[in-house]
Amino acid sequence: MEEIPESETEAGVATMPITARRTAPSVDVCRELEQFLFEEADLLDTWQFDAWLTMLADDIHYWAPVRENLFHRQRKNEMAAPGGSAHFDETREHLAERVDRLKTHQAWAEEPASRTRHLVTNIRVFETDNPDEFEVESSFYVFRTRSERDFDSVVGKRFDVIRRVDDSAYGFQLARRKIVFDMAMLLVKNLSLFY
Amino acid sequence: MDVSDWVDARNGFIRGEIFTSEEVYQAELKNVFARSWVFLAHDSMLKKAGDFIQNYIGEDPVVVVRQADGSVKAWLNQCRHRGMRICRADRGNTRYFMCSFHGWVYDREGSLVQVPHEEEAYAPETFDKADYGPRQVPRLHNYKGFWFGNWDETAPDFEDYIGDFKYILDSHIDRHEGGLEVVGQHRWIIPANWKYNAEQPSNDSYHAETSHASALTVLERSRKKRREEKGEPDNRVSMATRAAAARGKQFSGGFGHGAGWHEMPEGAMRYQAELPATMEWEDSVRDKVEERLDPYRNANRSHANLFPNFMMLANGTMRVTHPRGPNEMEIWAWTFAPAEAPDEVKEEIRVNVLRTFSAAGMFEQDDAENWLEEQRIFRGYMARQDPLVYTMRIGDARRGLGGVPGIIAPSVYADEGARGMYHHWAELMSGDSWDDIARRNAERLAQVPHAEADNSQEI
Repeated sequence: MEEIPESETEAGVATMPITARRTAPSVDVCRELEQFLFEEADLLDTWQFDAWLTMLADDIHYWAPVRENLFHRQRKNEMAAPGGSAHFDETREHLAERVDRLKTHQAWAEEPASRTRHLVTNIRVFETDNPDEFEVESSFYVFRTRSERDFDSVVGKRFDVIRRVDDSAYGFQLARRKIVFDMAMLLVKNLSLFY
Repeated sequence: MDVSDWVDARNGFIRGEIFTSEEVYQAELKNVFARSWVFLAHDSMLKKAGDFIQNYIGEDPVVVVRQADGSVKAWLNQCRHRGMRICRADRGNTRYFMCSFHGWVYDREGSLVQVPHEEEAYAPETFDKADYGPRQVPRLHNYKGFWFGNWDETAPDFEDYIGDFKYILDSHIDRHEGGLEVVGQHRWIIPANWKYNAEQPSNDSYHAETSHASALTVLERSRKKRREEKGEPDNRVSMATRAAAARGKQFSGGFGHGAGWHEMPEGAMRYQAELPATMEWEDSVRDKVEERLDPYRNANRSHANLFPNFMMLANGTMRVTHPRGPNEMEIWAWTFAPAEAPDEVKEEIRVNVLRTFSAAGMFEQDDAENWLEEQRIFRGYMARQDPLVYTMRIGDARRGLGGVPGIIAPSVYADEGARGMYHHWAELMSGDSWDDIARRNAERLAQVPHAEADNSQEI
């Protein structure tokens, strides 16, 4: 089989083509994982944040590095490295704190609450060395409206590790999430919710 | 521009027009931003020759470049040929910058060194490349690692410009021998006038208890839990406790600078982050900081703004708020940590700031909410008629109160910082010369009674 060259188009988030390195699990497993992500999107859109927290593994790392506009020759550094600039760099405890804040109903940026729609697409599922863990990539489009005429969009890609946990409420738990926003300068007033 | 219909800062009289008018905005670019000292870069962003960052003075893009001899130059990021942006990367390292329109090439100093087809295209007797470098920022000053620039040759020197604010600035940036270093950055936009993010750090501790009720509540809850689990000492005064007390002071400087802080009880500390490693490390270096600054400033610091748009918070947030029309600001925020702190302290500070004062920050979001609603309301005609209420503790400030230089209000809840900011803003907007403005500034400061003459205002 002809070797497929590594892509350099999406700097910092380039992944090798699927055939070059990774294998997809069975269609059934892919379906289960897709359903997990759709379920998650629905919980976030309906403000069921306590239920959403049960989808998260205790050791989750929820991370959204900052990206910059760099010269082509320096573009490998476009995404901040772990430990560098980030919009989110959260443990489960941190995320629970954010949820608790929203539940005070005094988090004025979300009181009155936004109405969101998490559209999750372009899902690709890969096996890992651990038979119970899967790498799942997905694109998202979060459209938000609020109050009289506020609206904005946040678009990006997620690189998840999702773990099968049989006795968990949703059958799987999110063990790791890297969120790559498609904006360097954020053209929104805040990131008040979850992606 | 005469702004007296909208601003009489001495009497706490300010109308919404100054936040929405396009005419006011254009005058600000000329009279405020092109005449004031604006933050450009920190030494830790320009470590070696050829390192550069882009920044802005108002709406004017500026490239700041470390030179081969260790000096720094800053120049307008605009090709002289057709006005195109020369450098289109946020930061990097380079020997030359090429304009991607017609290929004019500039070196690190901003000298034009190559023009394609120069011999055929331009007559040598009338065209000298030396005449066509981009406009240099003529005044640059490095204050303890922080680079500031000013377009105006007639403006006061930086140290005269900051005046008494030096006391405040040092309490943020000169605590530790090794200085500060950048550990994070965030950029985002808020659809509201830039002055809100200048006024608030100059002046407004008053909003925190209400605006930030949610964050104060959950962080206090987490802090209590951590204290119980990890046995942290309970003699520490938390953010929530501080916010509930009016005890503190507000600072107003000569040229529009402002600051405020809740005063800690005797022996208590204001930590950069209320997190275990940071508190432990700050306790361990407390003597050194007290010797470098003084015990009062070791314990007390909170929010400040170096006019016009360089804001700083005790948690390590430093940001420059770029104006983008009357209705939008662009926030360029950096997180600074003490360079000599252990890695785990820097990490706590980095994560603490991104979780509280970035676009996803639990405090920041609610500030934006206030500002953009104000902005929207001021579109109305009637909404711009009545003066807003900037009269808190008017007449109560004294020079040097409590041994703090500047015009000091006897409570953290005051509008002295905002009155000082808008007073200077109106002075600049008048278009009068810096000499006249500086003379009137000195006269105004001299009129404020000294604290020794009247200590009755101490609370």
